[in-house]
Amino acid sequence: MSEFARAEENTLGVILGKRNRAGVPAGSTAGRAMRQASARGASLGTAHLGVGASMLAALQGVYGIGMFLTHAGDYPSIAPAIAAWLLYALTLVGLTVTIATRGERMPDWLFGVFLFALAGVVVLDLVAVWPLHNLGRYATASGSVGFGLLAALTLRRGRELLAAASALGLILLVAVVLSTKLSPVNLPEQILLIATAVMPVLFGLYIVRRFRRIVQLELDRVLVQSTVSAPRFAVGMLASEELARLDLAAEELLESVATGRTKLPLSPKTASTAASLATELRLHLIEGRRETWLYHAITESEQLGKSVTLADRGSLAGLLGPKQRDGLLAAVWLLVSDQSKATPTAQVTIGPVTAIPDPGSKRITVPIVIATTAVPRNRVDPATWDAIGKVGRFLDSTKNSSLRVEIECVVTNPADQ
Amino acid sequence: MGVPMCDYCSVELIAKERDRLVQRSARFIGLGSTVVALICFAIPGVVPLTTLLSTIPLFAVLAFSQYRVGLTTGLLWVVIGIVSGLGILAVVQLPGEPQAGPSLGTAIVPLAAGAIASFAVVLTSSLGRFVLLVLSYLATVTLAELAIPGFISVQDAAITAGWALAAVFGYWLSASIPRAARRIYSIGRAHRAERQASETEAQRRQGARLLHDTVLATLTLLAHSGVGVAPSALQQQAGEDARLLRQLRLGASPAPQSSGDYNLEPVEETALGTTLESVKQRFGRMGLEVSWHGTGQVLLPSEVLDAFLLALAECLENVRRHAGVTDAHVTITDDESTVRAMVTDAGVGFDISDIDEARLGFKDSVVARLKDVGGNARLFSSPGAGTTVVLEVPK
Repeated sequence: MSEFARAEENTLGVILGKRNRAGVPAGSTAGRAMRQASARGASLGTAHLGVGASMLAALQGVYGIGMFLTHAGDYPSIAPAIAAWLLYALTLVGLTVTIATRGERMPDWLFGVFLFALAGVVVLDLVAVWPLHNLGRYATASGSVGFGLLAALTLRRGRELLAAASALGLILLVAVVLSTKLSPVNLPEQILLIATAVMPVLFGLYIVRRFRRIVQLELDRVLVQSTVSAPRFAVGMLASEELARLDLAAEELLESVATGRTKLPLSPKTASTAASLATELRLHLIEGRRETWLYHAITESEQLGKSVTLADRGSLAGLLGPKQRDGLLAAVWLLVSDQSKATPTAQVTIGPVTAIPDPGSKRITVPIVIATTAVPRNRVDPATWDAIGKVGRFLDSTKNSSLRVEIECVVTNPADQ
Repeated sequence: MGVPMCDYCSVELIAKERDRLVQRSARFIGLGSTVVALICFAIPGVVPLTTLLSTIPLFAVLAFSQYRVGLTTGLLWVVIGIVSGLGILAVVQLPGEPQAGPSLGTAIVPLAAGAIASFAVVLTSSLGRFVLLVLSYLATVTLAELAIPGFISVQDAAITAGWALAAVFGYWLSASIPRAARRIYSIGRAHRAERQASETEAQRRQGARLLHDTVLATLTLLAHSGVGVAPSALQQQAGEDARLLRQLRLGASPAPQSSGDYNLEPVEETALGTTLESVKQRFGRMGLEVSWHGTGQVLLPSEVLDAFLLALAECLENVRRHAGVTDAHVTITDDESTVRAMVTDAGVGFDISDIDEARLGFKDSVVARLKDVGGNARLFSSPGAGTTVVLEVPK
């Protein structure tokens, strides 16, 4: 944008609208909405995922009990093993009941009790199978504990669960080495036991992380999508709130002058407050009307904000119809949201209008160029082409082995509106 | 502008994300299990060395299929992967091969219940895929039974458990994403409503320009401590402006009945002179020295004066921010019909052809204001040669 559009500071040298990393002023409505949404995004849908993880744990438990019953005749004393399974079942059921009644969270004390109970399961099971000298074959409950940890998958931090799973794997490894005389015949069983203990949490954490990322991205995209229906020039969610604040401050000052609470002539301090209010108010009355929906979309989005730059000196983006806006936003989004290692960027240049419109035509052609870096042509999501097609006729080429798209976007001539 | 969000492409995008998540999960689980399976097979005595060597290419194909499944939605690599996994189960029991060791029964579990079963994660989304899942499961169990003479129930149970876990997991995971998406869209709808409300509110406030003009004029007077204006008149005007702002805040769109007639009455004789002096002081404090030339005794109707001063202040603000100089000259002249101000600076200047696009601020704040009162503004500049703005308002 032009230097005019960016009010870097007001006349008192105060930075206007302090911006956070995402480009959204931290105190603005948008900033608040983003924060609330992100906080909700942390648990959005993961409750359902958590129930699924517990279900897997239960399913695996049924299998484990089956295995235990198969070997039941071999145990010298079966009581500790039964106790281990009862404790394991009790722990899972107890946790399910707690979550159902207390809500989707796991405070430290509950996690402590949970881990303590699982440790008890492992100890009881090891006591029962120790005399059999083949942990891999006979340890059943302690192997299931790895799946049991999944019940806390969406409720606790990843590294806590990872630590718990690693501790479990280590304990079982040490127990195997101490109790079992290793031979090629029984070694696969031991490996299987330890893998069963450690891998569920590993898989689970990977999946939950990806799931959360999808949810966050989708949330970001959906929030930004709301800019598509904005008028040609939008003030954005910041401006409204700032303007309301300034109006209120002015009202209070004028009120106190009117009632005589503030004596005339004003003190230099009050006078300078009035001066700064006047300047800020003036800036806000002018500012914001020049920004288009696309500018707001890019500054408000975490994903777009860090990878997309916009050059739209004529604010021509505002002329695009809803369908074209939707297509352009989707295209830019798809181009830069590729989750591979390289960070793709896109530079969107809109205008200037050079083509002379046909006389009598009520439409003009706005050239749009999307120049990217680190977006190879063959990695582009096919949906991108559909999205670009909605904006207008386009021509794609490759520059520095990255995609470049030139779009001829036909819009209604603003002079005829 | 109640244009609906493009729900169609949202659904399409989220479906794509869901597929990708399920595929990547299958890949992660599959590759992890394949590594464990290979370790088990590589233990000396589990399978004879020649058998082990002949399974290695099959393991490679299996792992590569799992990698590919993470990237594509198609069934090709799923089938190739399952077939290569079954191939390993078949190779270890070929008649020509030496007899496998007794621990093979356990060693095939990570392969049959993990590595091959991992494909079940992507096989729950349609009936056709589910049929493939069941067939693959049956083939796996059959081959596993054949591979291990006698004592088979334990392995069968493990394999069944593995396939069941993978299938339930895949089904559950693909159901989780649309659920989350529905909630995200409801948040999105709420956000869009909030944005529209905030937009309307901002436009209502910005639209109240006449009101803001008088508020700004009053604030400007207050910024100079109210010097030069009768205190009672200023108090009255402040009260009036505060009332209008309150109405605006409470949702009305008040229009000032008598825009700023306070500054006509008490300061009529010296209107321009006094106010110009205060503008000069204000810019002086901000680091721009303004020199006045010409007449200071001009009588102007209040709304014309307001527009003229605001336009003038806007020009000086532009000089302060963009010209890169610390002084500006303002020359005021008048004839019988027009008052004219010429704002000149010796700053960096700019290309006039940029003005239409880049300097809408000038248009909005200067030209539009003057046009409202029947005046106009002209701009002369070129890079390096400074800038001159001529503002004209009718008397």
